[in-house]
Amino acid sequence: MKRILPFLIILIVLGVAIGSGWYLTRVTPGSPSSNPAPASQSSANPQSRPAPIRGIPGAEPAHTLGSPNAPVQLEEFGDFQCPPCGLFHPILEQMHAEFGDKLRVTFREFPLVPAHQHAVAAASSAEAAGLQGKFWEMHDLLYEHQADWKDKMDVGPIFEGYAKQIGLDVERWKNDAGSEQVARRIFLDGKRGHSMGVRGTPTVFINGREVPFDQLPAEKLRVVIQNELAASGSR
Amino acid sequence: MKLYITAAAVSLIGLADAIYLTVEHVTGQSVRCTIVAGCSEVLSSQYAVVGGVPLAGIGAAAYFGVFSLATLAAFGYRLAGTLLTAVVLLMFLVSLWLIYVQAFVIHAFCQFCLLSAAVTTALTVITLLARRTARLS
Repeated sequence: MKRILPFLIILIVLGVAIGSGWYLTRVTPGSPSSNPAPASQSSANPQSRPAPIRGIPGAEPAHTLGSPNAPVQLEEFGDFQCPPCGLFHPILEQMHAEFGDKLRVTFREFPLVPAHQHAVAAASSAEAAGLQGKFWEMHDLLYEHQADWKDKMDVGPIFEGYAKQIGLDVERWKNDAGSEQVARRIFLDGKRGHSMGVRGTPTVFINGREVPFDQLPAEKLRVVIQNELAASGSR
Repeated sequence: MKLYITAAAVSLIGLADAIYLTVEHVTGQSVRCTIVAGCSEVLSSQYAVVGGVPLAGIGAAAYFGVFSLATLAAFGYRLAGTLLTAVVLLMFLVSLWLIYVQAFVIHAFCQFCLLSAAVTTALTVITLLARRTARLS
């Protein structure tokens, strides 16, 4: 028995290792096997759809694009320093252009600290721009030029350049970026994200249901939105 | 013997960590940014894949190898002890390289990768101690 015992232990550990790896790939959110009802089928069988998540309120008024009465309400939790969020930005612009008034986009701040050292500074810059009515202009610049600043030591002058570029009152913007009001908006959006189970960015909800990460490429997100329109009878 | 049992136990932490990282990699979770810090940058970098195989998967296989060799060494297989030292030293060197890559190339640290480096360092110390004990006795 003693001769085979070590081999038996090794075999058991091998079995447990393979079994747990297999199990984890099945239960991890976003993996194809954990979403047995893909979006393309969900409208055909609405009963199988998960209930919408309401969450606690975020910062008000939220930053939105599109009609408040749009049948498809898309809410993104984003971090300006997160590369996948930067890649998602043009996709969302494309969806906004394609679906027009049928889609309303809301952006929520979800800076990932300490993963991204400039995430809060970027979020504050955008929120401070928002206090002068130019949130989306700053949002677009931060995402479009993410590669220019995300690895820099000092992003202050770069963000100030963006503020000038979009015609902000730069002194006011600087003061606002460090203000309690801006910090509170970011905090409230983060609280909302946590209450909705957001773990990372970008996390996207459509009408309160999380869109799996693998459904975020343009061609798949388009189908998810079309299905949602069909489900609401607006297509 | 006790040192080899300790090495086997410690290698299980590394194995669990590497399995987790492999799953993150395979399911594409690694491409989303997370609160955990840095793992998306590290796992989605070109350094996370070797010859089409996720590095975390190779790490899992290595930890399983260490567990097997440490278990055999604990049961008195002398060759296993020698092989274990060689494998662990190699893993230690790879860990040093990966920390260098995270610090100076990717500029992001993945905590789960750092845990793996810590486990490998602990394994190196334990294995070298076990070799010394074996030689003295």
